[in-house]
Amino acid sequence: MKKLNFSFSTKLTFDDYVHDHSFALRIIPPDTEAQKILSCSLNISPTVSTKQTVDAFGNNVTAGYIHGDHRFLDFDIKGTAEVDSTKHSSSLMPCYLYQSEFTAPDDGLIKFYSELKDKYNGNAPEKAVYFSDILSDLIEYKKGVTTTATTAAEAFALRAGVCQDFSHILISLLRMDGIPARYIAGLAFCDGETHSWVEYWTGDHWEGIDPANNCPVNDDYLVISMGRDFRDCAIDRGVMFGRYTQQLQLVRSLLT
Amino acid sequence: MTNISKEHSDRLYWLGRYTERFFITLRSLDKLYDRMIDGRHGYTEYLGYFGLPDKYKDSHDFIHSFLYDGSNQNSAAYSLERAYDNGIVLREEISTKTLSFLQMAKDTLISSQSKANVRLSLLPLKDILYSFWGSVNEHIYDDEIRNIIYIGKTIERLDLYMRMKYPFATVEKEFIRLCKNLHRVPKDTPYRYNTKYLCTVVEILGTEDDYKLGSDKAIQSLEHLFDPMEATV
Amino acid sequence: MTQQNNKQFTKPVGNADEINELLRRYGVKFGIYKNGVFNEQFFPFDPIPRVISSEDFKSIEKGLVQRVNALNEFLFDIYHDKNIVKDGIIPENFIYISKGYLAQCEGITPRNKIYSHISGIDLVQAKDGEWYILEDNLRIPSGASYPLIARELTRIAAPHASSENEIIDNRNYARLLKETMEYANCGGISAILTPGRYNAAYFEHSYLAEHTGSVLVQNDELFVEDNILYQRTYSGGKTRIGVLYRRIADEYLDPLTFLPESLIGIPNLMEAYRSGNVGIINAPGNGVADDKGIYYFVPKMIKYYLGEEPILKNAPTYLPFYEDDMKYVMEKIDKLVIKDVAEAGGYGVVFGRNLTKEKLEEFRKTIIAEPRRFIAQEVIDFLDLPILEEGETVMRKADLRAFVLSGETTKVWASGLTRFSRNPDSFVVNSSQGGGFKDTWVLK
Repeated sequence: MKKLNFSFSTKLTFDDYVHDHSFALRIIPPDTEAQKILSCSLNISPTVSTKQTVDAFGNNVTAGYIHGDHRFLDFDIKGTAEVDSTKHSSSLMPCYLYQSEFTAPDDGLIKFYSELKDKYNGNAPEKAVYFSDILSDLIEYKKGVTTTATTAAEAFALRAGVCQDFSHILISLLRMDGIPARYIAGLAFCDGETHSWVEYWTGDHWEGIDPANNCPVNDDYLVISMGRDFRDCAIDRGVMFGRYTQQLQLVRSLLT
Repeated sequence: MTNISKEHSDRLYWLGRYTERFFITLRSLDKLYDRMIDGRHGYTEYLGYFGLPDKYKDSHDFIHSFLYDGSNQNSAAYSLERAYDNGIVLREEISTKTLSFLQMAKDTLISSQSKANVRLSLLPLKDILYSFWGSVNEHIYDDEIRNIIYIGKTIERLDLYMRMKYPFATVEKEFIRLCKNLHRVPKDTPYRYNTKYLCTVVEILGTEDDYKLGSDKAIQSLEHLFDPMEATV
Repeated sequence: MTQQNNKQFTKPVGNADEINELLRRYGVKFGIYKNGVFNEQFFPFDPIPRVISSEDFKSIEKGLVQRVNALNEFLFDIYHDKNIVKDGIIPENFIYISKGYLAQCEGITPRNKIYSHISGIDLVQAKDGEWYILEDNLRIPSGASYPLIARELTRIAAPHASSENEIIDNRNYARLLKETMEYANCGGISAILTPGRYNAAYFEHSYLAEHTGSVLVQNDELFVEDNILYQRTYSGGKTRIGVLYRRIADEYLDPLTFLPESLIGIPNLMEAYRSGNVGIINAPGNGVADDKGIYYFVPKMIKYYLGEEPILKNAPTYLPFYEDDMKYVMEKIDKLVIKDVAEAGGYGVVFGRNLTKEKLEEFRKTIIAEPRRFIAQEVIDFLDLPILEEGETVMRKADLRAFVLSGETTKVWASGLTRFSRNPDSFVVNSSQGGGFKDTWVLK
């Protein structure tokens, strides 16, 4: 058990005024068996009225709408949480067993899995560790070669990517193997931005594994959102109107 | 029924404008037809009103193009198609019945093309259009909304009359009609007039002499009548 | 249900040209894209009505109410406890592989637990008089406006037909729809959301808006603020919308929940819906229940949820997913009709008898490779209906789309859309494939 202070901020800046800006943030960490949120404050600028809901995957959603012209949207959270990675959540949504948009394998990934599957026998935790080991040897951690829209199959073909891609590929392999798996977006000590890792179903409960660092998840990981893949977990999604041609996003996170 | 979107209010305005443009185009062509009986050709004058080049073989070619050619933006067929385009998305405001008159007008116009006596076969279009306006009156219950379509209609009429150098007395009548329509528009709604441009029109249409000198400027000011007003400090 | 109490009417009612002329005048059209160009076509109307006897209709009505009630129970179950899967009635992967299943809808309970407010159930009558269900349409079934306006116009063109026959007036559809919308309303006005006038069913969207007194809206005049759906009015104000009858597909509904690239959706609509601030007709996620693969299980659902025997039969269906069925399909493939579960609108339907030996062999392999992707059905010997073609009466295949409305109670509209194939050899009756329609009379 560990007490963590967390903070996370995002600055979205546009090169021209935008208006009618709707957004949905998945930024307030959920209370789960493994983490208790002791305090959490969210600030959004420009000032806007928001509403909270909980989505199908258990994430806190903050929805808002800015009608008038603005050139930026900043939001940040600060809070404290108690994390105990020896405790586990034990409710399973069956959809986690099935491939989703970002994890659906192509022929290359299917072939890779079929060559792998007979080489190793074991229970779900052993398999997860085995797959993660293989991936950490095979896939290079490299920034800039993939984007947030890259699928598991595409990143696998590149043999390179960032934490999001490692997670997608591992989830794809686990699901092919009949092990339910889910995507986690959150904060971890190793990163100055947001991090991503994987939880798999042991047959009884969820267990975390960090394929990008090839290590188990411990008390230094704070879950912000979870889902079938990146799309369910995006920290911020937005739609806006205006003549802007680009947006700049600055992200900073801190875990102490 | 004041639950109407900006998009639909614009559609109503343009439905009014294009329906009227269609009607006046037909009427003008009918007059030209009449002159042709006596062997007179008035169409170059008509083209002149709109600053259009003469690319026509003869009067028949001209009339055919201005009646039926959908690619000619000054033709009756084109205006009617635009009126229909605006009307089709307004079914729940203006009703299926009102819309049916535009469909009938389209069908009548198309079938007149193959008739021996075109003028005669275009005659029912008048009945159809008067029915259209009757139906608009019947089916648009909200005065504020009905007024928008009439503003479009009157602006179009005034614009065309001035371009076609109608006599001052006729133009003045239509202008008074427009002013009555405009005064019904509540403040802070999109079809509230812009005072600056309305003043210009009022000045020009004050006397016959000013009208003769300044009708071009009046036409321009009409185009800007619904521009948002500049904030006064 | 026998044939003699279902005497077929073979005489045209009124003059076909006159009625089609009236339909033209009232703009009864559907849009179609050909070579990338949008065209509006008039939906050809056949003046010989289909007549359904009172007795026949009563039994169809009971069967449809039963079926739709079970389907609504199923949808609630799937997005909550999933008991029907836990109890082994439906294999799990049939649910989760279905494109219509939307995980984002898990846990959402629509107002009054109604998911399918407007269900379009396609039936055919066999030569022996028996009715069979062909498919369920629980997403955005279209077509109700056509028989509605056709009846209105036939009564003008041929008043005798209505006074001489005991026909139930079908012009109550707008009222039924309005009641259904009001029952799903969470506070505010009723609106019909259309993707725009270049949609195939735009006539219907605008016609139903006019006749239910709803506003017809497009996404750019709507916005969600504080999880409430509003329409922006022309004077700069906003009006709250309590129920949205949307005529756009689930995936496009909310770019912040579903496809981010959707330009016709409303951002955060799903948040407003989840919060119970707006009703959506039909509920997002219904596609899991009208999947061609799930169709097989509907009779089992009726038994499971309602404890009743199904009144209406499915066409005999086989799932290659099951070993016994696979064996049967492999043997009898040349006698069966095979449907790709992912396709709709008459596409992806293959009659085994039309395939060459080589093609059949190829198709067998495809089915073995992807058994979950196909269903196989016996070819039903449809009762042909008379239609008028250039003055001659000819017999053509036809189906019936019945409309079932679920509000405070579940009601079947005493009419329906009878579509027929213009091609004598075709079993496919969809309007997108060039068919026409008839009025459907239900006798008192």
